[in-house]
Amino acid sequence: MLNIIFYFQVHQPYRLDHFNVLDIGKNRDIFDDRLNGLVMRKVAEKCYLPTNKLLLELINKCEGRFKIAYSITGTAIEQFKLYSPETLDSFKRLVDTGCVELLGETYYHSLSFLYDTNEFLDQVAMHRDLMQKEFGYYTTSFRNTELIYQDRLSDLIYEVEGFNTIVTEGVDRILQWRTPLYAYKNYSKDITLLLKYYQLADDIAFRFSNRDWPEYPLTVPKFVSWIDHLTLAEKGDKNLFLNLFMDYETFGEHQWAESGIFDFMREFPQEVLKKPHLGFATPKDAAELSNYQQEALSFPEAVSWADEERDLSAWLENDMQRNAIETLYELFAKVKQKGDPELLRIARMLSTSDHFYYMCAKYFQDGDVHKYFSPYDSPDQAYTYFITALAELEERIID
Amino acid sequence: MACYGMVKALLAQGIKIDLVLPTKEPVYFPMREVSDVDTLPAVFLDPLLQREYTRHSFLTVQDRLEYIGISSEPQSYFSLKELRRYANKVRDQYWMQEIVSTEEQELWDQMTMNLIGEEDLMRKVQEYTLRADRFARTLEYDLIHAHDWLTYPSGMLAKQISKKPLVVHIHATEFDRAGGPGDERVHKIEHAGMTYADKVIAVSKYTAQMIMSRYRIDTGKIRIIHNAFSLPTDTKMTKERIFKGPTVLFLGRITLQKGPDYYLEVAEKVLKVHPEARFIIAGTGDMSRHLLRKSAAMRLKNRFLFTGFLNRKQVECILRAADIYVLPSVSEPFGISPLEAMAFGITSIISKQSGVAEVVNHAFKIDYWDVDLWAETINHLIENPDNCQKMGIEAMHEVNRIQWDEAAEKIRHLYSGVLAEYIRRPQF
Repeated sequence: MLNIIFYFQVHQPYRLDHFNVLDIGKNRDIFDDRLNGLVMRKVAEKCYLPTNKLLLELINKCEGRFKIAYSITGTAIEQFKLYSPETLDSFKRLVDTGCVELLGETYYHSLSFLYDTNEFLDQVAMHRDLMQKEFGYYTTSFRNTELIYQDRLSDLIYEVEGFNTIVTEGVDRILQWRTPLYAYKNYSKDITLLLKYYQLADDIAFRFSNRDWPEYPLTVPKFVSWIDHLTLAEKGDKNLFLNLFMDYETFGEHQWAESGIFDFMREFPQEVLKKPHLGFATPKDAAELSNYQQEALSFPEAVSWADEERDLSAWLENDMQRNAIETLYELFAKVKQKGDPELLRIARMLSTSDHFYYMCAKYFQDGDVHKYFSPYDSPDQAYTYFITALAELEERIID
Repeated sequence: MACYGMVKALLAQGIKIDLVLPTKEPVYFPMREVSDVDTLPAVFLDPLLQREYTRHSFLTVQDRLEYIGISSEPQSYFSLKELRRYANKVRDQYWMQEIVSTEEQELWDQMTMNLIGEEDLMRKVQEYTLRADRFARTLEYDLIHAHDWLTYPSGMLAKQISKKPLVVHIHATEFDRAGGPGDERVHKIEHAGMTYADKVIAVSKYTAQMIMSRYRIDTGKIRIIHNAFSLPTDTKMTKERIFKGPTVLFLGRITLQKGPDYYLEVAEKVLKVHPEARFIIAGTGDMSRHLLRKSAAMRLKNRFLFTGFLNRKQVECILRAADIYVLPSVSEPFGISPLEAMAFGITSIISKQSGVAEVVNHAFKIDYWDVDLWAETINHLIENPDNCQKMGIEAMHEVNRIQWDEAAEKIRHLYSGVLAEYIRRPQF
């Protein structure tokens, strides 16, 4: 049996305003509320609302056999409330079906795991409380920001009560000859690992509307036949997991409605469910379903799902990114000492990984992706606003 | 800024000026009264265009200047729009599609900018020079005063046509601008202009030295007239801090000549001793990106900050927030901006390689390359805020005495001398 695990990342950052040195000390807002509202309403209209509606229909039609998982960041939830409350309601209706799993993560979609363990655990706890409060949901599977994972992450998450599964990227240099279709264990065999099958996931997320791709157009029968083909790898009756993890904004935002992405999704579950050996699951089902000894995998170096390198270089490659993030985490200590909740909140909003992603100045194709997502003209500009905002924050801390 | 102050002071001396600027349309600005420097009355050479122009009504001076075609940013002689159009055209070429890194892209932009920028500049000088013919014949004047190399060819032309004396004014030489040998064509034009002129005004001894040693200009022709500084009367000067800690300011173009990389080194040294200090770099320039990235690589945290381009009002805001002003120029013919900083009561540290160092006493003067001494001096000022403040106040008093009137008086004197000589000269 092969279980398809759909997991969608739902996230919106608080984008910075064009913050200048002359704005410091004027009590001016650091974040661009107008732009953030604009983006949220646009994405809600193009992606969240139509996709939620479609998936709710599919879940209802498939009578419990179609399942999906989401990770929804705290900053996204907050901005739903501010700019698109109907989106939050539609997510609640989805969770109410019982066919939707919510994953745990850092509230602010931050890189705190790499810089400040206490802050990381705080943000994880905050997110769990938020899921509990908004959806009445207790999270048991974890995904770190942008699927960043390393052995040490499993140690930390194992210590947090209730988590037993982590999802991350199926990186070739870790898997080597292995397939990401099995459920694995972390290096100490305490936690189940699910690895993204990036070839097929990226066919939907990145290549779906690319006319230069030899497989264009991607039809449902073609995609299902590829999936069907994967089951040949396992002759026994072991349960396999095909992990299709992607940005939720793939639907209608990265891949426009005109590309046929919604029609693809509309047909996909029924086509899958026609095959007796194919089905859907969510991350929390994996530990139970895996009817075999799960092999332990060690990740000595951090991996992620970003860019071709699938490492941390999207956020921490150049000096601007490093100077910015090191300065931020130094400020965290001072903010916490000061004990002003509003300042702590601003520091946390600044910890969102997107800010560092915008400062990426990498070569080749990935640069295009960074550019597509960035509200700024250049990495230098993103850095300038950010570092100036950090000066503002610091000035507010100093009495 | 120098031009504004000088023209205003000359008008007060009773001298009438027709300003011929590198405008898109063939116009000149007849300056008769002191107030004209703010209203900028313009006259078209062509009566038809003049009639059309007088029919127009403009909301602001800015709008009017735009109509005439003069850029509010004096540094750029070529239009950015033109450049962008050209760059886009190049970008559409198939071989440009493959360039994806920003670094590479920048090299191409630099190349295209210089490719057309330089040529464009020379072409503009050519056009300006050709147009000078008409101005030289139409306007009535006793003396021609040309400022910097862009106008020397037209100045020479005007002298040749009108047989009137020519004074050239050196605000900067190609050596200063380039921070090295620079463009040979510009040197040649500079040399020709100075040699052909009846008198050469240098803005400092430093510049006069340069003219004598590098251009071999007849010493008897050179007069040193220092620039000055007068604050606009409506300037708000009360201190308004941005940062709670000590604030050090660099204000100017971020380009080799101004020594921004020395500033960065000094900042690093000071921050090791005084991590509470902030270093501001206000302005833009061809070294902005280099400096931004280097400051990040040096991990100067949020202690080294960039404002980007600032307009006049914003410059005043940043001056009101600064404690220490620095001008680490590698080669600065004069450098008015320290005078402005001093007028705001800010303690200034200026490069010995600058003309301004000759006219002020209440400022620290240090060789631009002596970063240790720069750092020590800043540390000293941070550690002794009372001294720092006292020095600032003294500097303010001093700079208030350096007015344009004095410079204008010297220029007027020079004019009379030249004209007297002209009257005495043998007639053919």
